[in-house]
Amino acid sequence: MSEAIVTEAGEPARGDHDHGDHGTLTGISNNKLLMWVFLGSECLLFGGLISAYLINRSRFHTGPAPGDIFDIPFTSVSSFVLLMSSLTMVLALSALQRGDIRNNRIWLLTTALLGSLFIGGQVYEFTSFLREGLGYTTSPFSSAFFTLTGFHGIHVSVGIVMLMSLAISSYRGTLTQKNSETVEIVGLYWHFVDVVWIFIFTVIYLVPSPTS
Amino acid sequence: MSEPVAELTSGGGAALPLGVYSRPKGGGGWRDWVTTVDHKKIGILYGGAALFFFGIGGFEALLIRLQLATPNGTVVGADLYNQLYTMHGVTMVFLVIMPLAAAFANYLLPLQIGARDVAFPRLNAMSFWLFLAGGLFLNFSWLVGDAPDGGWFAYAPNTGVTFSPGHGMDFYAIGLQIAGIASLVSAMNLIVTVLNMRAPGMTLFKMPVFTWMILVVQFLLLFAIPVITVALFLLLFDRNFGANFFNPEMGADPLLWQHLFWIFGHPEVYVLILPSFGIVSEVIPTFSRKPLFGYEFMVFSGIAIGFMGWGVWAHHMFVSGIGPISIGAFTLSTMFIAVPTGVKILNWLATMWGGKIRLTASMLFATGVVSMFTIGGLSGVTHAVSPADTQQTDTYYIVAHFHYVIFGGALLGFFSGFYFWWPKVFGHRLGETLGKWNFWLMIVGFNMTFGPMHILGLNGMSRRIDTYSPGFGFEFWNLFATVGAFVIAFGVLCFAMNVILSARRARGLPPEPPDPWDARSLEWFTPNPTPVHNFDEIVEVSSLDEFWHRKWTTDENGRVVRRATAAEVCQTGDADDVHLPSPSYWPVVVAAGLPLVGFGLLYNLWICVPGTILVLIGVYAWVFEPPDDPDGPFGGGHGDEGHGDEGHGETEESASDESAPQEEAASVE
Amino acid sequence: MGRVVRFFRRAGVPAALLGAFLALAGCASDAELDTLNPQGPYARTIDNLSDPVFMVAGVVFLVVFGGTGFLWWRFHDDYSDEEYPEQIHGNFRLEILWTIVPTVILVVISIFTILTLVDISSNEDNAMALSVDGEPTMWEPEVVVVGQQWWWEYRYYFGGLEGVDLSDQRNLPPADIVTANQMVIPAGQEIELKITSRDVIHSHWIPALNGKRDAVPGRITFWKVNADEPGVYFGQCTEFCGLSHSRMRMQTVALSTADFQAWVDQQLQPAVEPTDAAAVAGRAIFEAQCARCHVINGVNGPHDETPSTGADLVSNAAPNLTHLMSRTTFAGGIFNLYEPNGNLNRPQLEAWLRNAPAEKPAYAEGRRGMPALGLSEIEIDNVVAYLQTLGTSPSIGIIVATEVE
Repeated sequence: MSEAIVTEAGEPARGDHDHGDHGTLTGISNNKLLMWVFLGSECLLFGGLISAYLINRSRFHTGPAPGDIFDIPFTSVSSFVLLMSSLTMVLALSALQRGDIRNNRIWLLTTALLGSLFIGGQVYEFTSFLREGLGYTTSPFSSAFFTLTGFHGIHVSVGIVMLMSLAISSYRGTLTQKNSETVEIVGLYWHFVDVVWIFIFTVIYLVPSPTS
Repeated sequence: MSEPVAELTSGGGAALPLGVYSRPKGGGGWRDWVTTVDHKKIGILYGGAALFFFGIGGFEALLIRLQLATPNGTVVGADLYNQLYTMHGVTMVFLVIMPLAAAFANYLLPLQIGARDVAFPRLNAMSFWLFLAGGLFLNFSWLVGDAPDGGWFAYAPNTGVTFSPGHGMDFYAIGLQIAGIASLVSAMNLIVTVLNMRAPGMTLFKMPVFTWMILVVQFLLLFAIPVITVALFLLLFDRNFGANFFNPEMGADPLLWQHLFWIFGHPEVYVLILPSFGIVSEVIPTFSRKPLFGYEFMVFSGIAIGFMGWGVWAHHMFVSGIGPISIGAFTLSTMFIAVPTGVKILNWLATMWGGKIRLTASMLFATGVVSMFTIGGLSGVTHAVSPADTQQTDTYYIVAHFHYVIFGGALLGFFSGFYFWWPKVFGHRLGETLGKWNFWLMIVGFNMTFGPMHILGLNGMSRRIDTYSPGFGFEFWNLFATVGAFVIAFGVLCFAMNVILSARRARGLPPEPPDPWDARSLEWFTPNPTPVHNFDEIVEVSSLDEFWHRKWTTDENGRVVRRATAAEVCQTGDADDVHLPSPSYWPVVVAAGLPLVGFGLLYNLWICVPGTILVLIGVYAWVFEPPDDPDGPFGGGHGDEGHGDEGHGETEESASDESAPQEEAASVE
Repeated sequence: MGRVVRFFRRAGVPAALLGAFLALAGCASDAELDTLNPQGPYARTIDNLSDPVFMVAGVVFLVVFGGTGFLWWRFHDDYSDEEYPEQIHGNFRLEILWTIVPTVILVVISIFTILTLVDISSNEDNAMALSVDGEPTMWEPEVVVVGQQWWWEYRYYFGGLEGVDLSDQRNLPPADIVTANQMVIPAGQEIELKITSRDVIHSHWIPALNGKRDAVPGRITFWKVNADEPGVYFGQCTEFCGLSHSRMRMQTVALSTADFQAWVDQQLQPAVEPTDAAAVAGRAIFEAQCARCHVINGVNGPHDETPSTGADLVSNAAPNLTHLMSRTTFAGGIFNLYEPNGNLNRPQLEAWLRNAPAEKPAYAEGRRGMPALGLSEIEIDNVVAYLQTLGTSPSIGIIVATEVE
């Protein structure tokens, strides 16, 4: 561990001016640009899933109707939790950019915790729907609902794994001010997942759903 | 160079109690190829694998033609026939044309923009292995006697578990999913490469048209692949987990599949054809000894095709029962996508006009593309006329149309590219005599096979029928087309012989001297074959066709006069101080894991376990793999964002060591 | 003469390549699925639109192809010197010109396309006087077309389709006439088609009368046909629908108004009770075996009602056999029911009853298609004897005109 820190400590002098956004034509580092491009692709992934949901939301004659089963206050709270995690993500990045490793770590963990709360809420929601008779195979609506929110849930979970990895490497001492871009890139992903949720939340819960 | 690597590995190992990873140090032979991250080797691998699948797809095509040679054919049964035509389509689209484009793109794109590699060499290697894994997975279905049989566009609900109870469509969905990840990762990689790593002075509008077309294609893939990903997931969930996306009995609408498929599928058509347009745009100017006519128009028409390609998908569904207003709208958008395509054709002709045309094999193929694609484009206009399409669609007229586009447009273009860049890649030319045999046999056989299909279609022959009765007027032209198919096969055989004989002839001889064709773009600055580090020095670019302008200039009368010989302009390839990314074991490991997960979904979920473990090990080791260069930016810290999302997630953690070539490029100057 | 003209139109695109084979193409036999031989107003409208488009495409092709050949010939390098030709990088005016010219051509084509589209998408309110069970009825001709693996069902509702719920394709409301594989229509009338499917997507296509339209399960698609003259018009399923896609064929038989009335009168009769001993035995076998899937009005379905339980098949339906002998093909329109001389095509019918999957590929074990029934030869004879009592045979003219294979 300590050796690693020494290794790291030996490097910034060179790393500072030698990598990052200086070598590229766009001024955006390769890694960050890759994330942007990837997120562009993700837009279409969720676009496809949201379309599949919209087409199927009124096809529920074999099971419960969306309007009868959604618990909008509950989901609003968990959505709020997820949105707050974007704020903590910003705080984590700005802490690291200031060189404040301790606060960076705290905010990374907070972000991961808020994300986990959201996932917990989703698990609770899914199980209560199951109890009310809305299974994955119940109707086209249920398949589309679980698939769309499930894909989003997987994305959040992946984000949590990324955040935890960052936190671990922070404890190991390998996450320092000079590689704050790594946190920035994970942050891009995290914000994207949150923004997508705003769309999904609107489409599924806020747009009045058909009732039976 | 290798000593410090070992040092660093031990240094990193102390920080990584979970294991020590070192990077392969060559070793020669097959190991070089399996662990390579060199874009050139990966390009050759793509090409080799694509030609292997081309053999399989071609064999399937010959069986199809034998079955249809006579009415009431009995060469294969209905069941086998349906598998053959489905796999022929899937193979040719996803495992031949797309990877051939990837082969050219991988090999040439970094060279054409004056870079030493792509932005993420390990991801690049993973893309190739994933594509190969997907392709082998798909074709494995033959071995279990259960190949996909729902057509390459797999219309629901015929592909649902009720109507397709075997595993064929699962092989289709999972195989394409894996190959799709490969295309998506590759697209992201090449986009970053082009945007970030061009040589100094090379503005976007000094890029060769081939690079431009590849860039457009990568954007099409970037946005189209996720749509087919969604469609394939929904199909898989329907088939394996009882979801109801395409099940009309539960009230779902099967047209959802068609929309999703064609929103992907139509941009995909341009994914197939634009690389070939790029190749033709390099070959025709070189052998006409004139610059490309209307470079800006060529670029903008390519971009326009890329954009408009998104707004025409429902023209595949004119008879599906979508409303007349949709049909009208998609009729119009489809009509006008012909405009930028027409502009390209006319610009190629204008390039040849007033030139001094050298009819090499490469040029023959390129001009073949111009006229054969024109036929495909024009028949395309005839079914953009939606009322006429109600007669033409799903007949052999359509089969003729898309073969003129994909074979006559895309494949002939790739053959043109083979002849053009063979000396660059392998250090010797392909023989011209066999090359001309190759061209004439292919073009004659091609027109014999697919030309009559226009007539068959208008005579009312439905596509995808495994047999037909006598008396409908189908007999003669079907037999004729079958003969044509074998003429094509002889043409392909000529190519194979040419490859072997040329290599044998070149054995022991010095490599082809630089610039065999008096060419125009950056890749020809390097000697033949391209050295592993590409450029001794990164070229400063000041104009389009930089290489040509270094050799030639115009005097005060406007005559072209030599400024320098190619030998003077070309680099020698003997620089020995160039840092290159080290090979890696892990891309191939990650790629090997996914088909195992696929088999698990099909046969026994327990098989998923080793597959998932393999992927996780691969990703983990990838992330914590030491950077090869102790002087590179931040040692072991690059693995921090490691996480376990297969396929998508590991994209961004690709290490900063991989931008080393770029930095090195800067430091060499 | 007409054939030669048609050939030129057909080959408009690859004309130059295939010109040498013109004579051979002229020999093509009576192509019953020919798309360029319209026999009704809608097919003719389409043909009138596509003809000039083929011509334009042919001309453009000849210009490009000839242009390429000309460039090869005119500008090939004779290698006499290393001189470069004049270096021209482009010409803005030319570029604009050849952007605008194709645009203008396409605008013109688009205008005619849209006009035609409006034309073939509209319906007229035609109606014909018909007597149904002796009641005079004004029938606005419409036929419900239902695809399933691998045959077509045609349902006639003479009371009109208003209030007829077609949303559950597996349990469609009882129809006045239910027939299979041969759609009988009055000539000179616009027939509205309501097309749907009981299993996968099929496509209904009678090239001489109109283009095709998909049969999508869960959806009703709209189309129309109209035949100028009485006659027989061939069709073929054109959307891949599984194993026997190529063996899913159909015909449209257009009759004069009087003949159509006669056909309707005939079809409305229930099956007659057999008297012959073999036929009686055959009927018993039908009730024991065939009735699991097939319906004969008056035997296992009352005259005006199909059983609501549906058949023991994935698609829930097998052809209604009440007037089998009034049709001239069977098994998805691929076998002749009659010899050209009007005799029953006994060998083929017996082969079908003996082992249907051997005659036409099907997933019989997956309840898709007719299974092998394991009947003895005597039982087969009895069943054939019974089937022969079902309906009256059509005229020799129709038998000959509908001959397949």
